[in-house]
This record gives sequence, C-alpha cells and structure tokens, in this order.
Amino acid sequence: MAKKLMKGCEAIGEAAVKAGCKLFFGYPITPQNEIPEYMAHRLPQVGGTFVQAESEVAASNMIYGAAGSGERVFTSSSSPGISLMQEGISYIAGSELPVVVVNIMRAGPGLGGILPSQSDYFQATKGGGHGDYRLLVLAPWSVQEAADLVQDAFDLADYYRNPVMVLGDGLIGQMMEPVEFKAERVPCKPLPPKTWAATGCGGDRPTNIINSLFLDPEVLERHNQKLKAKYDLMVRDEVRCTSYGTDRPYEVLIVAYGTVARVCSTALDDLREDGVGAALFRPITLFPFPYAELRAAAEKAAAVLVVELSTGQMIEDVRLALEGSRPIHFLGRQGGMLISPEAVSERVNAVRSGLPAEVRHG
Amino acid sequence: MDAMTTPEERRDALAAPVVILVGHFGSGKSEIALNLALGFRAGGEDVSVVDLDVVKPYFRCRQAREELRAHGIRLVAPEGENAHADLPIILPAVRHLLQHGDGRVLLDVGGDPVGARALGSVSDAVDRSATEHLVVLNFSRPHTATVGEAVEMVRAIERAARLPVTGVISNTHLLSETTPEVVLDGLATAAQTAGRLRVPLVAAAAEGTTARALAGRALPCPLLVLTRLIKPPFEGTRQQRKVGPLFVLN
Repeated sequence: MAKKLMKGCEAIGEAAVKAGCKLFFGYPITPQNEIPEYMAHRLPQVGGTFVQAESEVAASNMIYGAAGSGERVFTSSSSPGISLMQEGISYIAGSELPVVVVNIMRAGPGLGGILPSQSDYFQATKGGGHGDYRLLVLAPWSVQEAADLVQDAFDLADYYRNPVMVLGDGLIGQMMEPVEFKAERVPCKPLPPKTWAATGCGGDRPTNIINSLFLDPEVLERHNQKLKAKYDLMVRDEVRCTSYGTDRPYEVLIVAYGTVARVCSTALDDLREDGVGAALFRPITLFPFPYAELRAAAEKAAAVLVVELSTGQMIEDVRLALEGSRPIHFLGRQGGMLISPEAVSERVNAVRSGLPAEVRHG
Repeated sequence: MDAMTTPEERRDALAAPVVILVGHFGSGKSEIALNLALGFRAGGEDVSVVDLDVVKPYFRCRQAREELRAHGIRLVAPEGENAHADLPIILPAVRHLLQHGDGRVLLDVGGDPVGARALGSVSDAVDRSATEHLVVLNFSRPHTATVGEAVEMVRAIERAARLPVTGVISNTHLLSETTPEVVLDGLATAAQTAGRLRVPLVAAAAEGTTARALAGRALPCPLLVLTRLIKPPFEGTRQQRKVGPLFVLN
C-alpha cells in the first residue's frame, strides 16, 4: 500500500480500522478531535458504528458494554476527557474486558490548555481509577509508530483481556508524517477465541456474565490475585524500549518518551558533532516500565537526565530503576510549552560540567 | 458553480490582490500562505496574512507571529490567550481587508468544509474581481486520494464558503519522503481535478530539493518553490534551526 501523509490522529484512526475495530464511542475534545472525526467518516465504510456519546463518562460505559460482546472496541480522548473515563476504565479492568483507549495529552490540571503535554503519566501508569488494576501503556514517538502501536494495542488487549492505553502528547496527534500500513499484518500475540463474550448462548453453553462486583471478600481476593498474575505476565513479557546513540561511549544518558525523545535525539545529533558523549534511552511501554533495561544502560553513564513535558512524573520510575546508583537530573516544560533541542543540549553540557543533581522531596 | 473569471484572465492567479487558500486540513495551505507572503514581502510589497483557521489548534499561521513581524508582514489573528483558543473568533480586520485591500492579502482558511465555514461568514465582503479562491490539493492525504474525492471536497468547501473556487494548486508530497514522481503523479491527478472543476491549474508546489529535480521537466503550470517552514521542534539540521525560521508551536 502506498504511503499516505497522515496526521497522528488520522493514522491512529486508520490503525484501529486496520486492526478490525468496528466500534467507536467517544466525545470530542481538542487536540484529538481528528480521531473521532476520522472514525465517523471511516467506520460506516467498513460496516462499523460510530457513536458520539453525551459525555466521556457515557463513552467509557459504552465501550464497557460493547467490549462485553467480544468485538474490538476503541475510544479516544484528551486529558480532561480521560479523567472522566476513569470510572469506566476501572470497571472494564475489573470485568477483564479488552478495549483500546488513546489519550492525546494536553496540558492540565483541570481544563488546562490545548497544547501538548505529558502530565498524565501518573494517571496512565499508576491507575487513574480505583482498585488494584493496571493499564498496559504504549507511548509512540512518531506517527508511524503510533499507527503500529495502536494495532498492537488491540492484540494485547484481547490477549490479556485488559484495557490498553496508547499515550501520545498533543504533537503526536497533530503532526503529519508519511505512514504505511502493511497489507498482511500478523497479530503480535496469539488470539484465542473469545469464549467469554456475552453473545447470547441460546441454551447451548453456560451463561457468560460480565461483572466487576464480588461481594464475597474471599472471591474478590482471588479475583484481585488473578488480575495481579496478568500484570506480572505483562511485566515479564511486554516490556518494550529502545535506545539511541548507546553504541558509543556516553557520559550522560537521557531518558525520555514520546515526541520529547525525538527532540532529544536531535539534540544528540548536535552533541555528537561537538564530540559530546551522550545517549538516549526511550521507554516504549510505560507500564510495564523497562526498569532492568534502563538500569543496565545507566550503568555505562556518569549521570542520567530525565526530560518530560511535565513537572516530573516518569522521573519517579527512573528513580526506582536506578535505586540511587546514578545522579538524576530533570529538564521539563509545562503548560503546552515545548522543549527545544538546544535546551536539551545545554542541560546535557551543564550536567557534564558538574551541575548538582535534582533534589526531590516526596 | 462557475469560475469567477475565464482562464485567459487568470494567468497569474497567485499575484491577485487577495488570495484565499482552502483545502483539506494538512493539504499545505498555511505553508503556501507563509511562503507566498515572505516572497511578496521580499519583493518590497505590503503584505497581510489573515489566519482564518478556527478549527485546527496547532500549526497555524499565527504561530509564525514573530517570524512574520520580523519580516514586516502584518498578521491578522487573535492575540493573547485567544491565539491558542479553538474558538470561532473572526476579527473585524478580516472584513476590512477583504473589502478595501491594503497591499497584498493572503487568507489562510481552516481545513475541510468545516473550516471553510469561517470564510462563509465573511464571503459577502469578498471583491470577486480582485480575489482568487484557490484550493490546495495533496493527493497523499486521506479523504482526498482520488479525483472524485477531491471534487467532492471542493464542492463541499464551496458550499460552506459560499464562494466558488477559481483555481487549483497542486501540492502532493510526502514531506521528507517526497520524490519527483510523487509530485508528478499528484500533478496529473490535480490537472484532472481542475478539469472536472473547470478551473485552471494555477501552480505546482514543491520544496527546494524536489523542485530542483523537476526544473528541467515540462510542467502544465508554473512551479511554486517552497521552503518548508512548518516543522515540529525536532526537525531540521542545526544550521537550519539557527538561521531558518523554525516554525513550531510556541
């Protein structure tokens, strides 16, 4: 298939269609409106259904209901809208249903602004809703990777019967890049038949019930431990990360995800020209976080620099990974302000010159 | 709808006193508007850029505010915190410029029929004898991949804008992966589309490197050589970022 020039939002929509998703429920919010717009245009062409819900709360309950049928179900929103969806997402995780949720992050808290941000890292990776549950969280750094990860997200959701979130900043949603969809895509996980789906049994098999209510504490504890076992499997089998410039010696290791990592890679090209040894470690899965891989990469550096469009959220996972073994520095912008490659280079050089490491309380 | 003028009268459509650019979102309207503005300004003309995009939150002409100011180009767009709003704000200066002109005026309209609705709200002020209403087409974009889809998009834009399109700018590209063949294939489709719309093919746009590769080819219309200004913050070489206009969100 010839390459298309697509906005991230359009590529995410087409990726869902290519993954066999025929059901979208959502509510508009900037900067991800092009996803529902694309789905509204595209789903009728493939025999699917697009529903604009009356709110994100309703949308999250619509995907909950639809996922119970075993169909591939999708919603997207941006930060404030994702907050509203947390109730539904918790119920979906509790009921062990596969859905894909895309969050194109804008600056918060509250209504915040409409420009790019990465300040929903905690919400995505530590559970925005209540209860012991986890989302598998994938973070693309390009439009092509967004398209690929959304398709993988449907396979992972089905395999684990758990919600999967694709977490992009506003720039991923709005920027355009060439995108290719493979004609014959192989699912990234084996996909057994959905014998659990509530499709109507006609008396031929025991009734399938979709439920997150367990009043007997012993039963609920067993359920919690069953979910925990799934998250342990994700931690064992689904970690994804990559690095840039680690093939040469480096003094400073940058840790960044999403488009911020793209900015950092540009800075690294500049630094290499200047003979400065620095490299980038990029988590692709934010849950499970690549703790061991990061620790190994950081051991070759004298210091680590975390770069985020937030006041510092992923940095807490970096601290867990390094367990005090390396000084950790932080560079962040907020409010929709972006980080330039020059700002990254400047901070790397400051770290090399002996800048004291970030002191964090709490 | 019929074109406003016959093709013979419009050999140099891009040089009309008022040029309105419409098209699918992401087709290249803002890029072409900024390039034309800088080009006219370099020729010593008085230039106004009107950012009429009320639908897309990022990558709008207003984000080149500093760049345009540095070149002495007037930007007509919401200011202050409203510059970042996704609200249908149409400044009174838009109507004034359309009616009375003031040097050369370039109108960058929001994408798709929904974006053209903002133009529809001021189309009664358009002086048709002094105005070209051009559609920018990139056939590598979704929703305008074929002649049929492009014609359908143009007709819907015309209805929303309450203004007939008077010409086509061919702007098929794949950003850094553009080849001369990509441009030429798109140009052939744009020519067919222009034929179906019964308006002229006004120009073929191409970025510097591709444009140089096309220089020797016989083209059915003038080549508009573009410098890419609209970029995410990680693109471009260090040299480009230092000397060129890095046009990003902030």
